Amino acid sequence: MSLESSLFSHRWLPLLLAVPLMSLIVLFFYVPVFQAFYWSFFLEQPFGGGSQFVGLQNFERVLSDPEFWMSGWRTIVFMMTASSLAVVVPLMLAVAADRKIGMSLPARNILVWPKGIAGASIGVVFAFIFNPFVGIMAPLNTMFPGLWNPGIDGTDAFITLVAAHVWSGIPFNFVILLAGLRSIPHTMYQAAAMDGAGPWRRIFDVQLPLILPQLFLTFVLEFTESITSVFALIDTITEGGPGGSTTLLVYKIYVDGFSGYDLSGASTQTVLLMIFVVLLAACQFVFLGRRINYER
Amino acid sequence: MTATDTPMGTAIRAAAADIKLSAVTKAYDARNVVIPPLDVELRAGEFTVVLGPSGCGKSTLLQMIAGLERVSEGKILIGGREVQELEPKHRGCAMVFQNYALYPHMTVAENMAYSLKVAGVSKAQRTERVAKVAKMLGLSDLVARKPGQLSGGQRQRVAIGRAIIREPGVLLFDEPLSNLDAQLRHDMRVELADLHRRIGATSVFVTHDQVEAMTLADRILILNKGRIEQFDTPKAIYYQPASVFVAKFIGAPAMNILRVTGDGDTLRLSDGQVVANYAGQGNFQLGIRPEDIVIGAGGRLKAAIRYREDLGSHEIIEADLAGQPLRIATPFGDEMDKTSSFSFAFPQTRLHLFDAETGRAIPNSFRQAEAVRRSAKEYQ
Amino acid sequence: MVENARSINIVASILLLIGVVYIVGPLYLTLSTASQSYEFMLRNGVAWYPGNQLFANMGKVITETRIPIQMLNSLLVAFFNALATCALSFLSAYAIVYFRVRWAGLVFALILVTIMLPLDIRVITTYQVASNIFSPLNAVLDVTGLNDVIASVFGTPAHLELSVLNTHFGLIAPLVAHGTGTFLFRQFFLTLPKDLLKAARMDGAGPIRFLFDILLPLSRTSVASLFVLTFLSGWTQYLWPLVGASTPDMQTAVVGLARLVPDADGQVPDFPMIMAGAVLVSLVPLTMIALLQRYLVQGLVLSEK
Repeated sequence: MSLESSLFSHRWLPLLLAVPLMSLIVLFFYVPVFQAFYWSFFLEQPFGGGSQFVGLQNFERVLSDPEFWMSGWRTIVFMMTASSLAVVVPLMLAVAADRKIGMSLPARNILVWPKGIAGASIGVVFAFIFNPFVGIMAPLNTMFPGLWNPGIDGTDAFITLVAAHVWSGIPFNFVILLAGLRSIPHTMYQAAAMDGAGPWRRIFDVQLPLILPQLFLTFVLEFTESITSVFALIDTITEGGPGGSTTLLVYKIYVDGFSGYDLSGASTQTVLLMIFVVLLAACQFVFLGRRINYER
Repeated sequence: MTATDTPMGTAIRAAAADIKLSAVTKAYDARNVVIPPLDVELRAGEFTVVLGPSGCGKSTLLQMIAGLERVSEGKILIGGREVQELEPKHRGCAMVFQNYALYPHMTVAENMAYSLKVAGVSKAQRTERVAKVAKMLGLSDLVARKPGQLSGGQRQRVAIGRAIIREPGVLLFDEPLSNLDAQLRHDMRVELADLHRRIGATSVFVTHDQVEAMTLADRILILNKGRIEQFDTPKAIYYQPASVFVAKFIGAPAMNILRVTGDGDTLRLSDGQVVANYAGQGNFQLGIRPEDIVIGAGGRLKAAIRYREDLGSHEIIEADLAGQPLRIATPFGDEMDKTSSFSFAFPQTRLHLFDAETGRAIPNSFRQAEAVRRSAKEYQ
Repeated sequence: MVENARSINIVASILLLIGVVYIVGPLYLTLSTASQSYEFMLRNGVAWYPGNQLFANMGKVITETRIPIQMLNSLLVAFFNALATCALSFLSAYAIVYFRVRWAGLVFALILVTIMLPLDIRVITTYQVASNIFSPLNAVLDVTGLNDVIASVFGTPAHLELSVLNTHFGLIAPLVAHGTGTFLFRQFFLTLPKDLLKAARMDGAGPIRFLFDILLPLSRTSVASLFVLTFLSGWTQYLWPLVGASTPDMQTAVVGLARLVPDADGQVPDFPMIMAGAVLVSLVPLTMIALLQRYLVQGLVLSEK
C-alpha cells in the first residue's frame, strides 16, 4: 500500500481529517490508560487530596489481597464457561441455520434481536424471571424448598449470569459464524459428497475447518467481551453477591473506585486487568492465529 | 480542442500532442528500480503500443505520463510543456482502465460527464457532449443505465467514452481489452483502430498481447525490465528484431533460437551440421521463425521428430536438432513419416544472428528481407 | 444434491427451535408480565399469558418515573454517538487509505489498540479525565516546567478546569473514542477497485470532490451499517452512563430502568411496572432492528473482516 503513489499527496489535509478522532482517542483512551499506570505507582487521596509516590506498594497490597485473587479466579472461571458457551451455542445454531430448512429464515431474523436489548435490561428481566419467589422456578421451589435461590446460593447466581451473558452474545457470534459458513463455496460440499462424506461428516470435515478463522475471531473477542460486559449483568442481577460469589474483577474495580474511593487500588487492578486482556489476546494470536491463516 | 460535425455524426476531434520523455526514472528505493533512465519520443497523433511481459514497467510508464505515479527523476513533455510536476487533470490526458473503473453509483451519462462537471462545464453543454459521444459509440440507448446493468463490451465503450469526451490530446489505455472474451476483443480492436483514425489523439496503449500490438500500433515500444528493447513499426519488429528478447516475444509460435559456433566460414551446430555461411568466429545465437523453415526441397539439415500438433490450417512440428528443440510450422506436414527424421533448410535471408552474451542482434549478418526496408520507407 | 439429509435436518430444526425459544422466551415473559397487574403477579408470579394492564403499567412508568426524559437522553446519546462515529471514522479511514503519508500505519495501529481495551475496563481513570478534560494539559504544563514560568509571571500557575460529567458531550465522547468504525471503513475502502481513485484523478477530482462525489455515495451501505451498529451500542451502554451522569435527568434509560428495582430487600418490587419499563426502553432499538436488520447484519460481518 505504501508503494501506491497514485494516492493523494497532500500534507496537511490527511492530518486535518484524522485529528478529530485521534484527539478523542488520545483524551479518552490513551490518557486514561496512561493515568491508570501512573496512579498504580502513587497513593492517591480521594477528592484531590494530593498524591505520593509509593513505588510498587500498590501492587504488593493488591497482590496480597485474597479478595483480588478470588475475584480474578471468578473472572477466569466466568470467562472460560460463559465465553465457550457463548461461542458454541451460536455455532450450533449457525450450522443448523445454514441448512435449507423451514426454520432457517425466521431463526436468522430472531436470533439477532438481543443486539437491541441492553445487558442491563436483560439483567433486570433475568433477575425477575429467575427470582426464587415469583420467577419461573418458584413452583419448583415450593415442591423442593431450597432447590433454586440465586440470592443465597452462589452457584445459582453464577448460572444466571452465564445464561444472561450467552443470551446477549448470540447475535454477534451467530452472524459472524453464519457468514463464515455461507462463504464456503458450494462446490466444496459437492466435492466432499463425491468423496463419500455425508451431511453429518461434512460438518466436521469441511464446515468447521473452513470457518476456523471466524471461530478464532469470535473466541478472541468473546474473551474480552465476557470480562467487561458482564458488569451490567452483575450490577442488575446479583450486585456481586451472594457473599461476593459473583464479584468479578471488573465489578470489584468499580466498587473499590466509586464506592471505596480507593483510586490507587482500583487503578492498580485496572492495570493488571488490562495487562491480562492484552496478554490473552496476544497469546491467542501467537498460538492459534498463525495456524489457521490459510488462503482459500 | 475542437468539435466539428462530419456526415458520419462524429463530433469529437482532439488536437493531438506529442509526448517526450527524457531521462525519466522510477525507483522506489536504491534497490527497487522499476525504470532506469529512459528516453523516448512519441509523435503527435501516433498510436504507440507499449508491449512487454508483466512487471516490465509498462504500466508504471503509462501512469507516469498520466500523473498517477510520480517521476523519480527526469522530464515529461506533453505538447512541448513540462508536466512531470502537474496534477493529472492539468496534463490533458485521459485514460481507459483495465477494469474500466466506472463509478458504480453513477449512470452511463453521469460517468461520462463527470470530468466535464469537475471542470465546470455547464449542464447543457455536458448533455450535448454526452449525446454526441454516446451516439459515436453506439451507447445512446444506455445512457440512463448504471454500469452494473451493462455487459462487458458496453462497459468498455463507456470507459472509452468517458476518456474521449474531453477531447484529450493524449489518450492512455491500460490493458483495456484484457477482460473481454476473444470475439469481443477482436471487435473492440477494430473499433479502437477506427476510433483512433477519427479522433486523432496521440494514443499510448499498454498490453502484453502481441496481437493487439501488431494490429493496433503505428509503432511498438517493447519494454523489458524497464529498458527499451526496441521501438519500431510492427513490421520492422517482426522482420528485424533487435534482440533475442524481442524475437522470442513477437510471433507465435516463438522464434527458434539455436546455439551455434562460427569457424570463420560457416555456423555449425554442436553435432557439426552447417546451418549457414557466416564470416565470424565464436559463439552466436541463431534465430529462425518456425514458419520460415522450408521442409524437403533438398534441404541439408536433418532433425528427429518428437511431436506433431495439427492445428487444422497448419501443423506444428517439434523436432530435436542436435540436442536443441526446434519448432517448425508447415502446411505440408501430413506427407511426412511420423517417426523418422527428415530434411529441411533454413533460407539465408530469413536468419537472424544475435550475440551469444548480450542477445543483441548483429545487423546485416545475412541479407535481410526486402519487405522490411520497404515498410520502413512507407512509414517515413 | 441427491442425498438423504432428513436426520440432520430434523436435528437442525429442533436446535433452531430451542434457540428461538431461548431468545424469545424472556422477551415474551417480559411482555406478558408487563401486561398484568401487581396483584396478579403477587398471586401467580411470572405471567405465562398476557393480561390487559400493559398500558396502565406503561402509563405508570411514564408518569411516575424519569424514564421518558431518560429515553430522550438515550436517543441523543445513541444518535450522536452513531453520527460522530460514522463521520469521524470515515474521515480518519479516508486519510489512512487514500493519502500517501508516512505515519498512516502508526495512526491506524494507535486507533486499533482501542478495540482491545473497552471503556468498561478503564472506567476509573476515564471518569477522572472526564471530570476535568484539561487535566492532561495541566499535567503537561507541570511536568515541562512551563507552569513555573507562568507562576513567576502571573503569580499563580495555570490550572484549567472543565468537567464534562453530567453533560451529553461527556456521555457521548468516550464512546466515540473507539476504533471499530475506522477499521470497518478501512476494510471497505480496500475492497474498492484501486483504479477508481486513478479514474477520478484523471477526471480532475481532488481529494474533497473524490470524497463527496465517489467515496461517500459508494459507502452508503457501510455508513448505514455502522450507524445502526453504533446507535444500538450507544443505546445499550450501561457502565459509562452510570458513572458519567449522576443526576436522574441526565441518566440514560437503561440506567434508569436498572434503578427502578429497589435496592432494599423486603417487599416484592412492582415487577409488572418494571417489565413495562423494560419494554419501553427496548422499543426503540428493537424497532430499529426490525426495520434495518439488513444493515445490522452487514455491520456485524464488516466489523469482523
